[in-house]
Amino acid sequence: MLEAIRLTKRYEGAPTPALDDLNLSVAAGDVFCLLGPNGAGKTTTVNLFLNFIQPTEGEALVGGINSLRDPIASRAKLAYIPETVMLYGALSGLENLQYFTKVSGNDASSSDLLSFLALAGLPLEAATRPVRDYSKGMRQKVGVAIALARRAQALLLDEPTSGLDPLAANEFAGLIEKLRCDGMAVLMVTHDLFLAKQCATKIGIMSAGKLARVFGANEVDHLSLERAYLNLFTGQEVT
Amino acid sequence: MSQLVLNSNLIKSNSARRSNILSAIITKELREMYRDRRLVALSLFIVILSLAAILFGFTENSRLARERVAAAKADQLLWTGQGAKNPHAAAHFGQYAFKPVSPLSFIDPGVNPYVGTSVWLEAHKQNETQFRSARDKGLAGRLGGLSAAYILQTIAPLLILLVSFMSFTGERENGTLRQLLSLGVKPAELLIGKALSFNILILVLIFPLVAFSAIAIASFNNTINFSLSDQLVRLIIMALGYCLYLTGFAFLGLGFSAISKNSRAALISLLAFWLINSFLAPRLITDIARSYAPTPTALEFRSAIAQDKAKTFGHDETHPAFVLFRNEILKKYNVARIEDLPVNFRGLQLHRDDEAGYQIFDKHFSALQESFNRQDWLRTAPGFLFPILAITPFSMAFAGTDSLAQYDFTLTAEAHRRNIQNEVSDNIINFAHNDSYVSGPELWKRIASFSYRSPSIYFALDHSLEAIFMLLSWVAVTIIFALLSVRNLRPI
Repeated sequence: MLEAIRLTKRYEGAPTPALDDLNLSVAAGDVFCLLGPNGAGKTTTVNLFLNFIQPTEGEALVGGINSLRDPIASRAKLAYIPETVMLYGALSGLENLQYFTKVSGNDASSSDLLSFLALAGLPLEAATRPVRDYSKGMRQKVGVAIALARRAQALLLDEPTSGLDPLAANEFAGLIEKLRCDGMAVLMVTHDLFLAKQCATKIGIMSAGKLARVFGANEVDHLSLERAYLNLFTGQEVT
Repeated sequence: MSQLVLNSNLIKSNSARRSNILSAIITKELREMYRDRRLVALSLFIVILSLAAILFGFTENSRLARERVAAAKADQLLWTGQGAKNPHAAAHFGQYAFKPVSPLSFIDPGVNPYVGTSVWLEAHKQNETQFRSARDKGLAGRLGGLSAAYILQTIAPLLILLVSFMSFTGERENGTLRQLLSLGVKPAELLIGKALSFNILILVLIFPLVAFSAIAIASFNNTINFSLSDQLVRLIIMALGYCLYLTGFAFLGLGFSAISKNSRAALISLLAFWLINSFLAPRLITDIARSYAPTPTALEFRSAIAQDKAKTFGHDETHPAFVLFRNEILKKYNVARIEDLPVNFRGLQLHRDDEAGYQIFDKHFSALQESFNRQDWLRTAPGFLFPILAITPFSMAFAGTDSLAQYDFTLTAEAHRRNIQNEVSDNIINFAHNDSYVSGPELWKRIASFSYRSPSIYFALDHSLEAIFMLLSWVAVTIIFALLSVRNLRPI
């Protein structure tokens, strides 16, 4: 569903590429977690799939559609949840969901939209309140509801649990698991090793624009993952 | 979960999808506008200010209309009651022609305060209009009163720009643009949806003014000089023109918002444009138009007429032209002396002098109006870039308060003056047997009192084609600019 083929991004004047020859594939029902320090190229990868930036070389494919050549069609298959889901403060969660669902070319009744919000874990009484009063966790839940309502086939997550309390982060991980079971392909960028181990079917560690290592989630325990991550991060052998 | 996912439907038809997206954008934008208390307050302020301007304008117009009707009646009484006298003396006694107050002038007073309200119709002279209301006002009044037209031309665009400048920069700064574009929303759809919502705001601003004005026109009740249906159609066309004018500002705001790096930059650019359009361009372009199509000063104009008039004989029986005329008449009637003529020579003399005067006045007044027309054309031409230069003549034309409407009135008044001259001269020619001939009230009453029927809407349409073209061009230019601006809309 999501495929990067020799995907490279060089910014003008930068000494090294932000992303260097990335090859990865996320099938339906897979959750691929990209770990790595700041500047490793994780968010660049997400932006390239969304065609918010253009690749210097290579291709980012969504359901076989090149995101550079046909960004509208490729985005139609995607849902995107950034670090903080940005919504319209004057509108309620339900109105925001209604808006984002409709502009993505879908339609749903108010009761179905409320069900999506409930499924994403948003309390019913909050759904009609202006989102300017929402916590970050509540906003993320609206983001998940948007992904559900617009029947996205692939989900891009960029640090989705950053700043969430452990309970909210755990709730979020549960939602990702449900989406995976529903057949969604998920590419998640995170610093959170626990979340990666909890949700992922595959885990990749990025360093300096390269995908340095890839593990199957069942192939590695938490301690080994942390060690591999720190080794790449520090450049020294951590025991 | 799967069950729920199936409950949202992907809209397959392209047109249905597009209309669904546009309705979603419009609904969301209107919701946000409605919930923005500052915007609601500002919009209400503009509507109330415009309604107040219309109300004050209407009250003032009604007063002026009553005064002019009373003055015209009094003047007619003076004319018919002047007693027995020589008809030419009556022509010198003269009449006033009062310009009826255009019903729509309460929206746009146009040039009315500066060009005078009446013409003194007397023998031998085509006078200019006099009694300019601007002269009686203080400095603030002379600089332009607060009319509904001024509010719509100057203040309403500011509101539209203040609403639209953050349309894309705000979405970018808040991160919602990233969210929207990630959903596959086309920037052009966003643009059109936002523009349509601003158009609804424009209609909300203009509709109360149109409704209020329609009631005012209907209650103005002057069917002698104006047609009610004509005035209502003029009002609707004016409203459409203002909608076009403000729509251009909406697209301009959207375009600048799409290309600007941040909201501050967009606001500064748009405010600079607003200042140039509202205050700088009208003065600068007017000066340029004056230098390309200069008009004489009042003194030069009168001197030029006086110079030409000096070539005619008037009452001067020693003038060479008089001698030529006298010989021509004696030859025509085959007599040797004036006393032997079968008609009154003095009447013929007056008639010939009037005819000569008409040609001189027509030459100078039409040349002056030609210069005004050229100036108007030049002033309207940059209207596609600075739309106030197009909406001003458009609005005045349909309000019946532009210089061409004034010219039409002066032509009608002059035709009436000539009618008086011809009637009295003919009376002298046919009935006077000596210089002590007098005529009475019968003749004064036979000469119809001055009446003026305002030209129909076709007159305004015919003279507004350039302004209409420039207004349409302004909207086209801003739409193209906005479409080009959003083409490469980036969320980062």
